[in-house]
Amino acid sequence: MNAIKVILRSRTPCAVGNRLYATTKKKISDPDEEESLPIFQYPVSKSSDRRMYVWGLAETGALGLHMPRGKKSRKQYRNNFSMCWHPMRSSFAERFDVTHVAAGYGFTVTSIKTSEQQKVFGTGINTDSQIGYHAPRIGHPLELLLSPSPIFLPYKSLETRIIGLSAGRAHTAVLTDNEGVFTLGNNAYGQCGRKIHNNEEYRGSMATHNIKKLGVEKIVNVCCGQDHTLFVTEGGKVYACGWGADGQTGLGTYENQAIPAMVKGDITSEKIVKVASTGDCVLALNEHGELFGWGNSEYGQVPMATTQQQVNMSYALVSFTKGLGKIIDVAAGGSFCLIVNEAGDAFVWGYGLLGLGPNVQHSRTPKQIPAPLFGRNEFNPTSMVQKVACGIGHLAAITNSGDLYMWGRNRQGCLGLGHTKDQYFPLKVSIGAHVLDVACSVDHSVATCKPFI
Amino acid sequence: MQKLELTLAIIKPHAIKNPIALSYIRNVLRNKFVVVKTKRVSLDKESASKFYEEHVGKFFYNRLITFMASGAIDLHVIAHCNAIELWRRILGPTSVYKGQFKEPNCLRSIFGLSDTRNVAHGSDSLESAAREIKFFFPDFSFYKWHNDDEELYRKGPIIFNNYLFQHVRRL
Repeated sequence: MNAIKVILRSRTPCAVGNRLYATTKKKISDPDEEESLPIFQYPVSKSSDRRMYVWGLAETGALGLHMPRGKKSRKQYRNNFSMCWHPMRSSFAERFDVTHVAAGYGFTVTSIKTSEQQKVFGTGINTDSQIGYHAPRIGHPLELLLSPSPIFLPYKSLETRIIGLSAGRAHTAVLTDNEGVFTLGNNAYGQCGRKIHNNEEYRGSMATHNIKKLGVEKIVNVCCGQDHTLFVTEGGKVYACGWGADGQTGLGTYENQAIPAMVKGDITSEKIVKVASTGDCVLALNEHGELFGWGNSEYGQVPMATTQQQVNMSYALVSFTKGLGKIIDVAAGGSFCLIVNEAGDAFVWGYGLLGLGPNVQHSRTPKQIPAPLFGRNEFNPTSMVQKVACGIGHLAAITNSGDLYMWGRNRQGCLGLGHTKDQYFPLKVSIGAHVLDVACSVDHSVATCKPFI
Repeated sequence: MQKLELTLAIIKPHAIKNPIALSYIRNVLRNKFVVVKTKRVSLDKESASKFYEEHVGKFFYNRLITFMASGAIDLHVIAHCNAIELWRRILGPTSVYKGQFKEPNCLRSIFGLSDTRNVAHGSDSLESAAREIKFFFPDFSFYKWHNDDEELYRKGPIIFNNYLFQHVRRL
């Protein structure tokens, strides 16, 4: 009996003190008062809002996901993760209006919409000053940047806009609307388009080079391979500089080219609108949707009549792509090529995990990747692939509904599928936004997206 | 314990420029091998073509020497009782594009970019190891190695010197 009394005594005040009543809230009795209350409006994004999603190897700092170290807390693990398995929304793009993104070997370059000096930001490996000179102390330049920092470029006018970006293994090309191209980084092969100096020190270098015009024409497009750079001018001419040992420059030689020169061969009489190159093989597309190629062909990327492995002049691949229709986008990886035609079908050839099944394949002719893998089925018959991109070993395709599909070699989780196993067929990457563009590099990928709402 | 064997490991320019790859490779080197000598040099085209003269006439000869002459390279003379075979096994197949699917966990598959940019070089036999070490370290005495140093590195005591990046006698 005593025991029961004790329990009762101890419970009674407790129960009263902690009890929450559901009816304490004031009820709205007057209907007029209800109308005068503010209505909560969910924010709707502007059509110009852009998001950036990044995934892959974070150790190099290329993802720009470094969070400044605060005081010791449970979330400290956030500062020392080495891989990003799933697409992660970059906070950089929330602060700035990102327009273009390029991914190089272990670094990322981003351009933003602004009329200030700081238009281009870079993050990641900086051993060749490919993302500019950053030194907290004089004489101690940083070799690795963990979060995006502005790159100083000597613009003449601050009204200049950035209209293109491209990044290679250790160099960057920034294309502006009326000041030509700025290149920075490694110039050991002449990929920056300036004279090669033997034993030049690239670490902590402040050198940038400005290519104003090529011939008399403005540059409208720029594309960096691993160690070479390609420029497309207004008139559709292609200029190249850099490493030519595989014929990547297409100048008829196998030498390094320091000053951009016009690519020889079949494309001289064509109007080229797009060039694509990630490794050592180059594909070009003219205004009629015809394909041209040059560069490395060890795995049959640029099919020739003879068994030539290094093609040093551009060749028309019209008979090779016969029956595929008008081609709208091209991408060239390390040992394979990926194209997409007007009907939205993706074709692939070369060597590697091409996305055609669970085997490493060598295909000498373009093979179609079945359209149902890109989401075309009875319920969604209009799904089409619109854009393609290639890393060194992985491939990506974007459909018109804004879905990103990736497959290939999953080096350091660069496919963003949540694991590091190779992917044998296209699989949708889980990104919560409408994907507009994707930049693939060796071991990380960056996607620019538009919010759904 | 077996006698130590020497081999030459050359870290190629693109791996030198990637701090993440370099630290990984260096960890492998110093934990698996005894590092006897280390040097960082920048080759010019003439010495690179002299070093790779066995490949003259092959289609990749030109791109190999222009690549090797494009930046600084690290040279390591490493020792192990089975150094040549072990280092080549750690490196993996020469062709990155083909080898990365067969052996995905070797150095070339992890950090290699293309068939030329394949991270590192390893000697393929005892004779070529001796020739290559002599090429880059003219003052390296094999006589002294066989008579004195080999026993020291085999029996110790040695410690790793991070500044020189090589194993040295513990004083």
